[in-house]
Amino acid sequence: MGCCDVFAQKAIKMHHAYIDKFAYQDSPIHRIDARVKFIIAVVFTAVVISLPRTSVSILFCYAIGPFTVLVLGGIPLRFVFKHILLVSPFVLVLALTGPLYDKRAETVVFGPWDWQTTVGWLRCYSIIGKFVVTMLTLISLVSTTRFAELLAGLRRLAVPKILVIQMGFLYRYLFLLIDSAHHIIRARVARAIGKIGFRNETRVAAAMLGSLFVRSIDAAERINVAMQARGFEGHWRTINRLTIRGRDWVFAAVSAAFIFGMYVFVKPILG
Amino acid sequence: MTKAIQIEKFSYSYPDGTKALSDITLDIDHGQRVALIGPNGAGKSTLLLAMAGFIRGAGRIIIDGLEIASGNLKQVRSCIGCCLENPEDQLFMPTLFDDVAFGPLNMGLDPEQVRQRVAVALEKVGLPGMAERAPHHLSAGQKRAASIATVLSMSPKIITLDEPDGSLDPRHRDNLVRLLNGLHQTLVIATCSMDFAAAVADTAVVIDGGRVIVVGPAEKIMSDSKMMTNHGLEVPRKFANEQA
Amino acid sequence: MHMANELLSVPVAGGTLAVAAGGLGLICRKVSRIVTSDKLPLMGVLGAFIFAAQMVNFQLPAMPGTSGHMVGSVLLSIVLGPHLAAVVISSVIIVQCLIFQDGGLLALGCNIINMGLVPCYVGYFLYRAVTVGKSGSMRTYVGAMLACVVALEAGAILVPVEAVLSGVLAVPFSTFLVTMVGVHFLVGLVEGLITVAVLAYLQQVRPDLVLEALPGRIRLSRRTVLVTLLVFAMVAAAGLSLLASSMPDGLEWSYAERPDQPGFKPIITNENTTIAAVDKMQGKYTPLPGYSIRGSSSAGWTSFAGVVGSALTMAVIWVVATFLRRRQLKCTTRI
Repeated sequence: MGCCDVFAQKAIKMHHAYIDKFAYQDSPIHRIDARVKFIIAVVFTAVVISLPRTSVSILFCYAIGPFTVLVLGGIPLRFVFKHILLVSPFVLVLALTGPLYDKRAETVVFGPWDWQTTVGWLRCYSIIGKFVVTMLTLISLVSTTRFAELLAGLRRLAVPKILVIQMGFLYRYLFLLIDSAHHIIRARVARAIGKIGFRNETRVAAAMLGSLFVRSIDAAERINVAMQARGFEGHWRTINRLTIRGRDWVFAAVSAAFIFGMYVFVKPILG
Repeated sequence: MTKAIQIEKFSYSYPDGTKALSDITLDIDHGQRVALIGPNGAGKSTLLLAMAGFIRGAGRIIIDGLEIASGNLKQVRSCIGCCLENPEDQLFMPTLFDDVAFGPLNMGLDPEQVRQRVAVALEKVGLPGMAERAPHHLSAGQKRAASIATVLSMSPKIITLDEPDGSLDPRHRDNLVRLLNGLHQTLVIATCSMDFAAAVADTAVVIDGGRVIVVGPAEKIMSDSKMMTNHGLEVPRKFANEQA
Repeated sequence: MHMANELLSVPVAGGTLAVAAGGLGLICRKVSRIVTSDKLPLMGVLGAFIFAAQMVNFQLPAMPGTSGHMVGSVLLSIVLGPHLAAVVISSVIIVQCLIFQDGGLLALGCNIINMGLVPCYVGYFLYRAVTVGKSGSMRTYVGAMLACVVALEAGAILVPVEAVLSGVLAVPFSTFLVTMVGVHFLVGLVEGLITVAVLAYLQQVRPDLVLEALPGRIRLSRRTVLVTLLVFAMVAAAGLSLLASSMPDGLEWSYAERPDQPGFKPIITNENTTIAAVDKMQGKYTPLPGYSIRGSSSAGWTSFAGVVGSALTMAVIWVVATFLRRRQLKCTTRI
C-alpha cells in the first residue's frame, strides 16, 4: 500500500482536474445535437482505425477534423494533449512491440530525406498516430457535449433505458464517491506508521473498501426515500428535449464530406 | 376546516426495539410555519418521515383530511413534499431540470406543464436559468435551494424540511430564510439552530426522547430559558434580547 | 485491462460491438423485468463505488513497481447477482471510456465483454457451483478466490485473441497470451483476497445484504491465506510450464535480446498460420496494402506534402479562431 496513496492521489487529481468542465461552455460545436456528434465520432474513429497498419502521413490529414472541432469548441489544446499523454502508457508499450517483433527492413522517403528503418517502427508510429487522432476525436466529443445530453442522445439511439438510467446515476454520484474514497485513503495514510505486512494491508484495504461499500448502500437507501417522496412508483418518465436543427445537418454533411473525401481522394496518394 | 396535519397517538419503535416516537399527538393548521426543535436523537427526522408515510407505526396520521394508508401514499406525497437532510440525496439526476421535473412527471403532467413548473420553481428559489447545470457543480447553498425547488414543482400544500440550514454559511443561511419566508405553504422545519427557527417559524414544537414536550407560539416557547435548557436547547438571540 | 481502438481492426471491433450490444440488450430486457424500483439507485451508487474502488491501487505482491487495482465484477455479482452486476459494470466501462478516455469508442465492445460480461457470469456461476447448498467458511473462501482468478483470466485471455484476430500488433500470440495470463493470475489472486475480505467485512457490518450470497462465516486466517497462495502457485507453475512447452516460439522473445550472443539470429517472422491468414484478410480488406509504395521518391514527396499541408492547415485554423475569439472579447468588453 506504499504506492497506494501516491497512485490514488494522482489518479484523483488527474480525473478531477478536467472532468466535464468544458462541456458546460458554449460554442457552435456545443450547440450541435449530441446524436449527430456521437455518430460522426464513431464513424470517424472507425475510418481512422481501418487505415492501413503502416499509414502515418494520412493520419496528419485526418487529424484536421477533430482539431478543427476542438478549436471551434474553444477547448484548450494544451489540456487536450496533456490528457492524451496521461492515458497513453498502455498503448505506447504495445506500440513498441512493433519494432521488437517486426524487423523487416524498409526505406522511408519523406520530402528531401530518406532513411532505413523497419516495418515494425512504421507500425509503431501508425499505432501511436491513430491513438492520437482517435483520442482527439473522443475528447472533442465529450468536451463539447454535456453528459446528460449525451445520455439522452444515446437513449434516442436505442441504448436500453435501464442502462441509460444506470449511467445517469453513475455520473451523478461518481464525483461524490471519488471524494469519499479520497478521504478514506487520506485518513488511512495519516494513520500509517510503517509496513504492516501484506495480509494486514489486505485487511485494511478491505475495511476501507467495505466502509465505502456500506456508505454507498446507505446513500442508495436515502435516495430511494427521496425518489418515493416525489411520487416514484417504478415507472421512469422522461421528456424528450433533443431536436435536430438545420445546423446539425450542416455539421453532419461537412463531416461526412471530409471523412470520405479524404478516404477517396487523399488516401490513395499518401498510402 | 380540515387541518393540514393531524397526528393522533402515533408511536414507532426501531426494529431492535428502541422507542423512537411515543404517543405523538399534534395538530397543524394550514398556513402555519412550525419549527420542530429538540436535541439530537429526539426523533425529529423520524417524525418528518412518518408524516410522509415512510414509517408505519401505531396511531393515525391524517394529511389534509386523508389518512395515511399503504394504498394512498402517492396521493399523500403529492400533498406533502419532503426536503431531506442531505441535498445530495435529493438531487439524484444528471441535471437540475431532470431533478425538478421528476416530481411533476410522476404526477402525470404533460411535457409543456412540466417545463412550466420547472421554470417557475427554479425562479422561485433564486436559480433561474440553471436548469442545465449538473448538481455536482453547484455550491452548498445552491444545492439546498435546488432541493427545495424539486419539491416546489409538485405544488404541495405542505412542505417538510429536515435541518435545511445544516452546513450553510451565514450568507446562504440568510438566503434560505428569505426563501422560506417567501413561501405560502404550510411549513414544518426540523432544526437544531434556534436562531434559524426563530427567523422562519411562528409556532414551535419541542420534541425530546420521542415525545412532544410543548407546543405553542414560537416566541413564547423559545423564550422560556429554563425549559429550553432542560431539553438541551438554548434561547435564540432574537428572543434573549427581548427577555433581558 | 482496457483495450484500445488502435489494437483492433474494424471487423473485430464491429463484431465485438455487435456481440456486446446484443448481450447487453438481452440482459437489460431481463433486468427491466426483474428489477424493483428500489434497486435502481443501488445499482447506480454501486457503479460509482466500483469506479472509485478501481482508483485505489495496490502494490502487487510479487512484482515490485507494478500495481494493480480491484475490478470488482465478481464482488458485485456475488452481492447483486450476475445480471444486475453485468449492467452496472458495463455502465462503468462505458462511462470510463466517455469521461476518462479509458479504452476507445470502438474497443467498447471488447472491453464490455472482457471486463464485464465474461467475468460477471463466469465468476458468479463458479462461485455458486462451489458454495450453493453447502456451508462453511472454507468453501466460501475457496469459491470466491477461484471465481475471481478464473473470471479475470477468462477476460484476460480474450485480449490476445482479439488482438491477434485484428492483426495490428506484431507480438506473437503465444507471448501475449502467456504475459496476460501470468499478470492477471497475480491480479486475480489479489482481487480474490480483497473480495473475500470485503465480503467478510460486510458479513460483520451488514449481514442482511449478503445473507443469501454467503452460506457460511468467512475468516481470513493466516493459514488459509498461505495455503491458498501455495496451491495457486503450484497450479500456476504447472499451467505455465504446460503452456510454455506447447508453444515453443512463446519464449523466443527472450532470445532476441541476448547481448552475450551477438551472432544469434533472432527468429522473428512468425510462421503461425493464424497470423498469415489474418494478414491475407487484412490485405484483401484494405484497398491498398499498407506498405507498397514507400521507397519511391514521388511517394515520399506526396506524404511530405500531406503532412506539412495538414500541419499548416491546422495552424491557420488555430490562428484564425484565436484571432476571432480575441476580437469577440474586445467587442463585448467595449460595451
